[in-house]
Amino acid sequence: MERTDALKNACKDFEEDLVLFYYGDDSAADHRRVEEHLKTCAPCRGFVEDLRKLLPQMAKPSELPQSFWDNYYHEMVAKLAVQQERNSWWKNLFVPMRRWMLPAFGTAGVATLAIGLVIGKGNWHPFGEPREKIPQEILADTNQLEFFRSMDMIETLSSLESPDGTKVQPGDDYHS
Amino acid sequence: MNQLAQQDLRDEEIVALCQQGQGEVFEILVRRYMEKAFRIAFDFTHNTEEAKDLSQDAFLRAFTRIKQFDGRSSFYTWFYRLVVNICLDYTRRKGRVIWERLEKEGEAGSEVVELVDTSALLDEEVIAGEAKRRADLTLEAMPNKQRTAFLLRNHQGLSIPDVARVMKTTEGTVRVYLHRAVAALRQSLLEFV
Repeated sequence: MERTDALKNACKDFEEDLVLFYYGDDSAADHRRVEEHLKTCAPCRGFVEDLRKLLPQMAKPSELPQSFWDNYYHEMVAKLAVQQERNSWWKNLFVPMRRWMLPAFGTAGVATLAIGLVIGKGNWHPFGEPREKIPQEILADTNQLEFFRSMDMIETLSSLESPDGTKVQPGDDYHS
Repeated sequence: MNQLAQQDLRDEEIVALCQQGQGEVFEILVRRYMEKAFRIAFDFTHNTEEAKDLSQDAFLRAFTRIKQFDGRSSFYTWFYRLVVNICLDYTRRKGRVIWERLEKEGEAGSEVVELVDTSALLDEEVIAGEAKRRADLTLEAMPNKQRTAFLLRNHQGLSIPDVARVMKTTEGTVRVYLHRAVAALRQSLLEFV
């Protein structure tokens, strides 16, 4: 009964630590902590003991003869050879052409670029149709616009009344 | 480079040679990892022929994808991941079939046990065989990730950081999976302790 109790009642809070303790995957501090706990806890001791009995048995590899591994290896080498052949069959098509491949493709590339530039010159607008070009003579200089605006203002000012109430005419000497 | 010198090459050096077009040196990696790859596959399949096929598929996949290996992890971590993924795909395809086959083997009293002749077993060995069968059933019933974490840690001896890299998860998550798997196995095998 005591043994059964020990099996069933390992401390839940310690179970994960006990598993790591068994595998040696815990830190030094945790290892010491678990060791201290095991000194006083029979259920947890039983838990670890069970793992020591059960888990190595599960991991025991089945014995296989050397002939199995030799056959395995030779089969694998044969499969790799087939795969390598599949990977390279298309490359073998180009082997006879290798010597002149680079200059040939280079020439073709340059020719294609040149033809494209000649035919497409002026006809390629990646950002949409360009705006209609405005003749230079019509383009308004910003400074000139400002000058004309100031002239407008002066004319407006000149229509204002003079200090003695008379209208100021253009050309009048204002200070007389 | 002679064969003896090739055998001394590190995994990363062999991978680099393969990536440069010297695919024939990949055979060294086969020799180096075929037993581990087979064992992982056997843990998932419990069948020698299927384990051989799956593990060899993993080598072929690694060979065809060798140029994609970028060296951020070690080769064996990358390769383990391939093997595990192939095995998990296999278990998803087979699904219930494995469970039923294991149950039938149990009902029939283990008339055929892979790689072991039961005819002359002593009582203790019969008990051990039954315990193993029960453990296999429990493993098959587990969620894939718990089973994978357990097999990689317990059977393959990978460290928890390496298991985490293979499974592309955190070490904390691996610890949780491992704990749950071990607790479930212990619970199912109480009578054999």
